[in-house]
This record gives sequence, C-alpha cells and structure tokens, in this order.
Amino acid sequence: MDLVEKLEILTDAAKYDVACTSSGIDRAAQKGKLGSTIAAGICHSFAADGRCITLLKVLQTNVCVYDCVYCVNRCSNEIARAAFKPRELADLTIGFYRRNYIEGLFLSSGVIVSPDYTTELMVETLRILRVEYQFRGYIHAKAVPGTSPELLDTLGHLADRMSVNLELPSQKSLQYLAPEKNKHSIIAPMKQIKHGIAEDKDTRALMKRGNHYLYEKRPPKKDRAFVPAGQSTQIIIGASPESDYHILQLSASLYQNLALKRVFFSAYLPVNDDAKLPLTDAVQLNREHRLYQADWLLRFYEFDVNEIITPEHPFLDPDLDPKANWALNNLGCFPIEVNTAPLEMLIRVPGIGVRGAKLIMRARRTTTLREAELRKLGIAYKRARFFITCNGSYTGSGADFSREGLRAHLAAPIEGGKHGRRADRALPGQMSLFESSGTQTSRLFKNAQTPLFGAREPLFAAREKEAVLPQPPQKLPAPLNGAKPLKEPAGMALAGW
Amino acid sequence: MVSPSFTDERNTLMDTPVEQDSALVDTPVGQDSALVFDGSLEGLLSAIFFAYAKHLHPSDVVAQANLQPRLGQTIHEVPTNLEHALRVQKGICKTCGASVFEAVKYASVSDDPAIGSIIYRFVRYALKKNRPHDCSNCRRKPYCNGLCTRKHTKTALDDIAHSAVAPFIAAHRSVSNEQRYIMQFLRFEKVEGNLWFARCNPKASVIPLVMDWFTARFNTQAFMIYDEVHHLAGVYEGKDWYLVKTDQLSVPKRTDDELLMQEAWKRFYKTIAVESRYNPELRQQFMPKRLWKNITEMQESLGCPPTPNAKTELAEITLPLLAP
Repeated sequence: MDLVEKLEILTDAAKYDVACTSSGIDRAAQKGKLGSTIAAGICHSFAADGRCITLLKVLQTNVCVYDCVYCVNRCSNEIARAAFKPRELADLTIGFYRRNYIEGLFLSSGVIVSPDYTTELMVETLRILRVEYQFRGYIHAKAVPGTSPELLDTLGHLADRMSVNLELPSQKSLQYLAPEKNKHSIIAPMKQIKHGIAEDKDTRALMKRGNHYLYEKRPPKKDRAFVPAGQSTQIIIGASPESDYHILQLSASLYQNLALKRVFFSAYLPVNDDAKLPLTDAVQLNREHRLYQADWLLRFYEFDVNEIITPEHPFLDPDLDPKANWALNNLGCFPIEVNTAPLEMLIRVPGIGVRGAKLIMRARRTTTLREAELRKLGIAYKRARFFITCNGSYTGSGADFSREGLRAHLAAPIEGGKHGRRADRALPGQMSLFESSGTQTSRLFKNAQTPLFGAREPLFAAREKEAVLPQPPQKLPAPLNGAKPLKEPAGMALAGW
Repeated sequence: MVSPSFTDERNTLMDTPVEQDSALVDTPVGQDSALVFDGSLEGLLSAIFFAYAKHLHPSDVVAQANLQPRLGQTIHEVPTNLEHALRVQKGICKTCGASVFEAVKYASVSDDPAIGSIIYRFVRYALKKNRPHDCSNCRRKPYCNGLCTRKHTKTALDDIAHSAVAPFIAAHRSVSNEQRYIMQFLRFEKVEGNLWFARCNPKASVIPLVMDWFTARFNTQAFMIYDEVHHLAGVYEGKDWYLVKTDQLSVPKRTDDELLMQEAWKRFYKTIAVESRYNPELRQQFMPKRLWKNITEMQESLGCPPTPNAKTELAEITLPLLAP
C-alpha cells in the first residue's frame, strides 16, 4: 500500500474528530530547529465543509478491538484498515510542515492489540518528531482510554495538548453505546492529565531563577513541559437523549473541576447502521451551533451556566442565540449607558462582543460615543440599540421594550449555507420531529423497547424529560462572583457522570 | 540628565535646522497643495517632514503612481531623503511611542491610493495630541533620558472613533489581515537545488512584514517568497533575509519528492471534509477565492495549472526602514 493511499484511509477514519486547534501555547522559534507555535493558532486551510485544517489529523491506525456503536472504526465494520509506521508518519508530518500546509500533528488512534501497545506506537512517532527531528511545532495527542499512567506521562511530555474523548454526555449512554469503555477508563486519564499539568506548573515556578535564597542548581537538561497547552474533550450530540441543560451543566463542571481548555461538541452523524442508534437522517447541526454559542458565553463572557439554561427550559432556543435570550429574560438590567457602563455589563449586550466592548472602553476615554461612533467601531448596532443608551438617549425606537417585542427583532435563524444536510434540515420541526406520527420519522429508534430509550418517547421534547434525563446536580456550580471550589465536590465530580 | 521638553510640535522633528533646498518652494497658507513621494515608506516620511518644514497643510499626500492633481492644486515633488525619514521616525517614536510607528510601518504597505493622506493626517494628529509631553507623574522619569516610549500612557491609536484615526486603523487592520492570510495560506514547494519557493498574491505589499515570521520558523531551509502583484521577492539563505525587486523570475524545476507530497496533501484535503456538513460558503468566507490560485489544494477546483516559470535577473533593493 503506498503512502498516499494509506494517508487517505487513516484520514477518512480520523475526520469525525472535531478538535483541530493549534492554540494555547507560545513557543518561539530556535536557530537550527524547525518550527514554532503561537498561542492564537493558525488555520492553514479550510475543508469543503468550512472546518479549518490546522493540524495533520490522522490515526496511527484504524484497526480497533473495540466495538463502539457510533464509531466508523468499530471492529465489526468492514472497512479498509491500515497503520502508519512511526517513522513514516513523522516524515510525512515534517514534509507537510516544511511546505506550510500544517501547524503540526493531531495524532489519534484506534486500539490495536491493547491500549498500551497503541500508545507505545504513538509515543514512538512523537519521539522521532521531538527528539530526532527537533520539531517545535504543535502536537495534539489523543489519550486512549485504558492506557497505563506511565505511558500517558511519557506521551504528555511529548505533546502540547492532550484530549480524552468523553464521547457521550452521560455514563448511561456510554455504557449503552460503547460497552468496552467505562467511566473510570475515561475520567482517570483526564484527572491524571489535570494533576500532571498542575504539578508541572508548580515545579517550573519553583525552579525559576531568583525566587529563593538557596544555592541555585538548575536541572542539567531541561525537561519538556507536561501538556503545556492543556487538555480538551469531545461529546457527541444527538446520539443519546440528553438535554442541552444536561450537556451544558456537564461542560461547565468539566471546565471547573478538570480545568479543561475546550469541550467540543460533535453533532451525531449516522455512519453505522445499528439498532442502538437513532434512526434519523437529520444532523443536529443547529443544535450544535447553539451549544457552541453557549460554550463561548461560559468561557469568554463570564456567564454562569445557570444564567444560560434552566431545568424548566432544558433546550436552547433554536431561533434565538443564548446571549440574546439571557438579555430578554433580564430586561431589568437594560438599557445601559454605553459611555459609562462597566466592561462586564457591556459584553452582556447582544450585538457587542468581547472585542467590541474593549474597543468601546478604549474609545470612550476621549470621545463621547453615539450611533456613528459605535458603527465605526464595528458594533452590531442593529441589535445593540435596544439595550443601550448613547449619551442618555435611547435609540431602540420602533420596538416594544418587552420580551415579545424585542424577540421579534432579535430572532435570527441560523444561516448555515445553501448546501448539504443543512439545506434539508429538520428545522423548524427539530424538536417536534420525533413526536410526529405516521411518517417515516415517527419511530426514531428501531429498538424502542430498550430501557434507556424508553418506548415511543419524544426524546428531545422538553416536557417529557424526567424519564430518561439524569437528575440535575444537587450542588450547583459556584455563582459568578464566588470562588472556585478547590476540590471537586465528593460524589458529583461531573454532572451526570 | 536631559529632561524632555517638547514645547512645540516642531521641536520633536526639528532638533537640527533643515538645510535650505532651492527646489523646495514655500506655499502661502491656505492654498491647496499636494505632496508627491516615490511610494516607499521613506518617501512618505520625507513628505511628512517636508510638510512640517514648510508649514504646509497639503490636502493630498500621494505616491507618484497614484497622482491625480486637483484643479488649481500646487504639486510638490518631494525627493526621498533617508535622513529626514529617520528624523520623522525618531520623532514619532519619541512623542507617540514605538507602537505608533510600528502601526505606521504596517499601514504604509497598503495598496490604497489614499494611504499617503491617511497616514499623513494620522501622524499630524498623533504628534499634536501627545504634545506637550507631560512627564510630571511618570515613574520612569528619572531614568528615561527623554527617550520615553510612552508605552504606559494611551496613544493616538486609542482614539479609534476620531476621523483622523479611524481610516488609519482600518488601513492598518486590512494590512494585518493580509499579512495573516500569507501566514496561513502560503504554500512552499521544493525545487531543485534544495530551495523552497512560494508564490502569493496579496492585496498589500506585505512581504517585508512576513519575512521575520517565516525566517524564524523555517530557519533550517533556504527559501524565497515571491509576490506576483507587487513583483517583490523576499529571500532567505541562512543569514538575514533581503528583498528583491523583479518583474519576472526563474524558478528551478520541482523535485520528484515534491509531486508526491502535493499529491498526498491534496488527497488529505479532499478526504478530511465531512460530506454531510458540506458548506462551501463558509469555506470561501475564511479562504477568499482570490488567493486560491496559489493554494496547492485549491488549484484543481479552479481548473488552473500552476504558474509557469519565467526567466530573468534579480536585483537587490534596499528598504532600510522595513529591513530586518
């Protein structure tokens, strides 16, 4: 099998992994060595689906001993199998990197023989890159659940970012769809990576020059940092019946308890035909989009998860973005004066983002901001005008200052392009799709009798959630101003997990 | 210790008298005038110097190539003078901070025909705004020796809504975006002689702004980046990089290994897309179509073969302020 063919097989097997970021670490170039990284990351190309290509995303091998129902590489699938030799893959990475095609390598793998054997192969690839070729580009390595801690440690010292896929939003679903994986095999490496990063940071801080009076002896050879760009994870949306409320609570607790950099959501794509999987052709791309918007609010806008979503309305509004939704639910906070409001209020105005809010803070030191100035700064004035006053005057005329009145102006269906699955999307019936009867979609799951997906259940309908949805966590995450808990609350480390 | 005393905006630029040049004509205040420079950053800074020296308030500062005189406008052709340019550079750095000069440097490579006037107005505004330089509360006063970078105070760049600054910020942003595109979408190919070659077609002449980035990252390989639009090449051969101005250039043949890599990359690109998420509008938004002809994996979808090789000589040019 020639290299190109092999690359095609192993790319095809890896393409359903969502994460393809090269962010989180600055590493300056060094004379005589190839490569550098910047914290913002660089996208080197964009595939036909609009997703960025920043890393060479391949599997070490797509041979797999597991039989996860949703996965294209499950052992019972009859597909072409291949494996990269470590040196072959390292050479290919360097070849692509030198041509400025990629920012580095994203290495994942199917489980060949055993998790340890697989990880050894990955370690060997990264060792050739890092040690032999002195490669300073970005490397993202996926930890295989069930790997021994020692190997994981070695892998972490060679990679920049690591990730362990959580796969499904609850233990129950995981047990059902990926019977060989269990909670321990996924959470244990995540915890190990978290502790490894914290420990590594502490050690480095202590070894810095000049922070103690003792004789300074610097370590003879500088060890590579352990996962300096942090860890991420991925959850499949729509293969199991959990609500948005559940998913967002879970991702909030992942950020808080496991110090994750990113939680990726991946709308479930039917690649296998299995009785356990939903019998739907509609990919929930719009739901994924809204979840990402909510995720951004958690990470960059200092929102608390309970402000975004409540158990009473466990699904995000498909027609309204979560930030606008929050503003409409809290009209009492608005309008705010754009020339005096604090930054944390400015970023909560629909139409003003983090960048816009910072520009406003900069510009208003010398200028009084009115409509013309705001437009010049690139604020989405059309949306923002209902929630702000400019120098005392309210400009949101033409709309009733009430939830219903403003909703008509702010509702914006997702423009997802004219092609592909989005074109024949299930919206606006995305929620009700599963309730309709007499059509082909009336029976969503073939095996309606299984206990997890109870019989004839409108799976994603908001009002009948109690049968399958896990209970909301007893202990809610700390509020906005509260200090983060130092230790994970016992028993409920991850909501729903 | 020299204490900074910029009582007059002229002082920042005029610490030595200007030698009288008979070619320079004084124009009565109020008369419409235009300054013409050669298109380089040095030329532009010389023109700014000229405006200050002659107490002119020109309505246009334009590059020779873009000159379109207005009715009744007096045209002053300003010769490029490196000494004057350096004095303006020093003045801007001292009064407004090095970051402002860095921004001027970026904006100056823009292709916008009005960029000269935009920068001129911005520099006027910035120099005036930060005068007089009040150091009374500055904690670095005892040891700055008048070389204060004013890093800790706000600069003219912060007045983003001002009419003299907004177009400048827009130009600066557009050049930065273009620079970023090059960092993203430049594609090297290996040619005979162990050389790496890349073509690009940016909207602004950003080669001088990306050379530092590429020489740092690919310091183990000799390479050349050629800008087809501005006919400018950046060359790195293991030491400092330099710029070459040329209309055509000769590129050796690709190596065999190169074709295999390109084939592998194109196959990877095709395979990585998930069919059910097909969204070409989104792709085009992130990766503008005008750049596709020089992006290896996109050439096929445009149906155009790679650009053929041409032959000529290369002549090195000097752009001192943009040099490494």
